[in-house]
Amino acid sequence: MRTREDDMTPALVCEGLVKRYGDKTVVDQVGFHIDEGEAYGLLGPNGAGKTTTISMLVGLLRADAGSVRVGGIDVAEDPVAAKRLIGFVPQEIALYPELTARENLRYFGRLYGIPRRELSGRIGEVLATVGLSDRGDDKVANYSGGMKRRTNIAVALLHRPTLLILDEPTVGVDPQSRVAILDQVEQLVAEGMSLLYTSHYMEEVERVCTRVGIIDRGRVVADGTKRELVAELGGTDRVELVLDGDVSAAAEKLRTVDGVSEAVVTGTSSIRLLVTGGRHLLPALLAAVADTAAAVTGVEVVEPDLEAAFLHLTGSTLRD
Amino acid sequence: MRPRPLTALVVANLRRQLRDRVGMFFMVVMPFVTIVFVGLALGGSSADAQLPVAVVADSSDPVAAAVLAELGSDQALVVQRAETEEEVREGVRQGTLAAGLVMHPGDYEFELVMSQTSGSGMAARSEIDVAVGKVAAVLEATRAAVTAGATPEQAAEYVRAAQRESAEVSVRSSGGEDDGAPTGFAYTAPANLLLFTFVNSMAVAAALVESRRIGMVRRSLATPVRHGQILLGEALSRFLVAAAQSLLIIFVSMFLFDVDWGDPVGVSVVVALFCLIATGAAMLVGALVNSPQQAPAIGPPVGIVLGMLGGCLWPREVAGEPLTTIGYLFPHSWAMDALLALARPGANLGAVLPEIAVLAGMAVVVLGIALTVFRRRALANV
Repeated sequence: MRTREDDMTPALVCEGLVKRYGDKTVVDQVGFHIDEGEAYGLLGPNGAGKTTTISMLVGLLRADAGSVRVGGIDVAEDPVAAKRLIGFVPQEIALYPELTARENLRYFGRLYGIPRRELSGRIGEVLATVGLSDRGDDKVANYSGGMKRRTNIAVALLHRPTLLILDEPTVGVDPQSRVAILDQVEQLVAEGMSLLYTSHYMEEVERVCTRVGIIDRGRVVADGTKRELVAELGGTDRVELVLDGDVSAAAEKLRTVDGVSEAVVTGTSSIRLLVTGGRHLLPALLAAVADTAAAVTGVEVVEPDLEAAFLHLTGSTLRD
Repeated sequence: MRPRPLTALVVANLRRQLRDRVGMFFMVVMPFVTIVFVGLALGGSSADAQLPVAVVADSSDPVAAAVLAELGSDQALVVQRAETEEEVREGVRQGTLAAGLVMHPGDYEFELVMSQTSGSGMAARSEIDVAVGKVAAVLEATRAAVTAGATPEQAAEYVRAAQRESAEVSVRSSGGEDDGAPTGFAYTAPANLLLFTFVNSMAVAAALVESRRIGMVRRSLATPVRHGQILLGEALSRFLVAAAQSLLIIFVSMFLFDVDWGDPVGVSVVVALFCLIATGAAMLVGALVNSPQQAPAIGPPVGIVLGMLGGCLWPREVAGEPLTTIGYLFPHSWAMDALLALARPGANLGAVLPEIAVLAGMAVVVLGIALTVFRRRALANV
């Protein structure tokens, strides 16, 4: 018996995507799908292949192999029709600074083919959605970073896309603006928008997305719900140590301790560890650090989370 | 092809251009300042205007009277009498006179007062030389007739007869390079049209680099519009800016400086082709440089050098043969030749077909390369 879900066309399906530059394969057999109304997060360190993957999804780059279907439409076969279904928020603030937000929106509205008689009303709606109704006639150059980011999102909503792709949408904004942007994104998902979200901020992905793909060195190394990814860790905990002294030597020593699967230097005085049975292993960890003449000034044991799963799967922190 | 995206892109780019106050100053004000100053240096007015010349002479002297009569009949000159040589020198120094002529009674060696660096002075000298030459010829003919045995009355009659016959003899222009070459504003207006259209096109390439750098081009390419339309819109925006600047210079120079550009069809074709080349050059600069600051740092100096080679800053004859030859590798020389040729009376499109063919070829090559490179670079950072 077919259910309603069986009949739904996925918002996005990509399979076996490959992109090579010369001898270097920057995207290697990437595949995932996003159901209608689903929020999917794509996590990966810098250079993992996220932006190249997104460029192929939105039709900017031609894949060397594989396929992308947006709302059932093959991007390679009918890029124009597929692009109509996508709202793309690039990592850069892609707006003309000399023009007002309204003029920028009018420009993109016309590129998206919105009829002139509808466009003014639609511009007013998206400006209201991002909370900029009263600043729409100001030049973008005079906006704060957060306002520019919100306008960047407004452009992508203009033509009522079914799939919203956000590439690092909160880079460089203050915490207050970040909260406002995340609230808006959550609201869009609640209204049924399908979402592909990439970010350096794990907490953003944890908050907004129901399913996550982890991409590393051009390959999707894990794909599932947050619960599924964390479950892969088994009884692994994350331990954060703050040290006074040579952190590299301390990390080296900590890797020799039984039960430590990862030890990554995350700052000038901090080390992140993945350990089995974190709380019971603490005395051994402290003793190992003491052997290196470094002094522990802070300890935090964190229950398994997405950050720990990411570290486990990629061997690096997200901000590496 | 849907025209709406193309219009949207052009409107947005033109808005950006209009809001760039420094850019607008260089586009609107600067060309006219240059046309006026260089025009005054090269002749002071358009080619058809008369040159002011002062003469110090004693009217009772028959030779001086004859020279004065000849100068007075010259349509290219406005002759005024001066009392002293110093008065003439002061007028030439101040630029109120193109030249002056001092004729001392009984002395047939006249003194010409002019500035060697003034184009109008050169032009006035040539007119004065002709007038003095005519009088000298009459005197020489009269002397020869008297030497041959004629009475002074007979000699005068012979000379008058000879003058009547010589009036039927005229010299027709063979269309050589220097014949009737425009001076003054008639030269500086087309020269500055080419110079500033090209230089400003290169300068506005900064906006193109900015569009690429901030990801506007990339984001536009991600909309449901064919890539070719986005590229065409970017090129069309630059072409319209170049064309608008050209039209502004043409119309203002026509109405303010009385410049006659010649056959409108020919001028339109030449200017349109030159604007296409300038557009291609701007797209190329916009594609190749990495920051918006680099475009105005690189483009205008290149435009000025090409303008020098093409005769846009000074007449090419001043530059000499080697530089003139090198100049023909670039569009300015060809466009300058075409515009100067079209300004000659009776010239039309047919007179400049070789120049048009070369300019069209250059436009195809430069634009083709520019669009290919720009597309590649716009998509390079994805």
